Amino acid sequence: MHEGSISIRLAADVKEIERLNRLVRQFGELHDVPSRTLYAVNLALDELVTNVILYGYENPAGKEVLVRVDTIGSELIASVHDDAKAFDPLKAPPPDLHAPLEDRALGGLGIHLVRSLMDQVSYAREDGKNVLTIRKRIR
Amino acid sequence: MQIQEQKQGDVMIVTIDDHLDTAAAPGFEQRLLGLIDAGERKVLVDCAPLEYVNSAGLKVFLLAAKKLEPLGGQLILCALAPSVMMIFEMIGFTRIMKIAPTRADALRAFGITSA
Repeated sequence: MHEGSISIRLAADVKEIERLNRLVRQFGELHDVPSRTLYAVNLALDELVTNVILYGYENPAGKEVLVRVDTIGSELIASVHDDAKAFDPLKAPPPDLHAPLEDRALGGLGIHLVRSLMDQVSYAREDGKNVLTIRKRIR
Repeated sequence: MQIQEQKQGDVMIVTIDDHLDTAAAPGFEQRLLGLIDAGERKVLVDCAPLEYVNSAGLKVFLLAAKKLEPLGGQLILCALAPSVMMIFEMIGFTRIMKIAPTRADALRAFGITSA
């Protein structure tokens, strides 16, 4: 893997996710990021950015979400920056994966996926912005 | 999203395409739940073309399975790609949904043996 970084500014619109995933895939391929890692990072970024767009803003029109991806050493680090209302998705209770079908909740699946796919996930509120950082080691 | 429907015996076979994301999920939900509302009880979703699914898409499978269970019906999925199967395992869906390796296996599980 080669070291590098990319910053992507997205309109707060779920239609932008496809473009995000395409750009991250291109960046990853140029930097020799394994395809399994790219798949996991793209899915995690999809979940995080979608959450912000759908639930973060009262009116997402005109708002932007910034995504930054860095390859450093043997790690891929990505972060999502938004100025939506303060929200730490990591505080949500994990879904009960052992519950029978009738009791399985519909919520919480996305953030559970993010936690499962990544090696580390952290949240910070910085300068009035939510910053969600995910890390994945390259094996 | 392209969704194809095909009836074999009393099994409704639904084939989806490669991308089941936030944009595609509402249309898929409407079609799948609509089939159940129309009386289908044995629903087979052939996921062979599926390469990418996010939580919005996963939720549709969960909704359909939850809706069918009290009606005495069943949802069976088949032909999941390894990357998609990994996501289903992660989210614990392999415990609560029947997932068959191939369409023929799924049909057999519904009691249909065809040549």
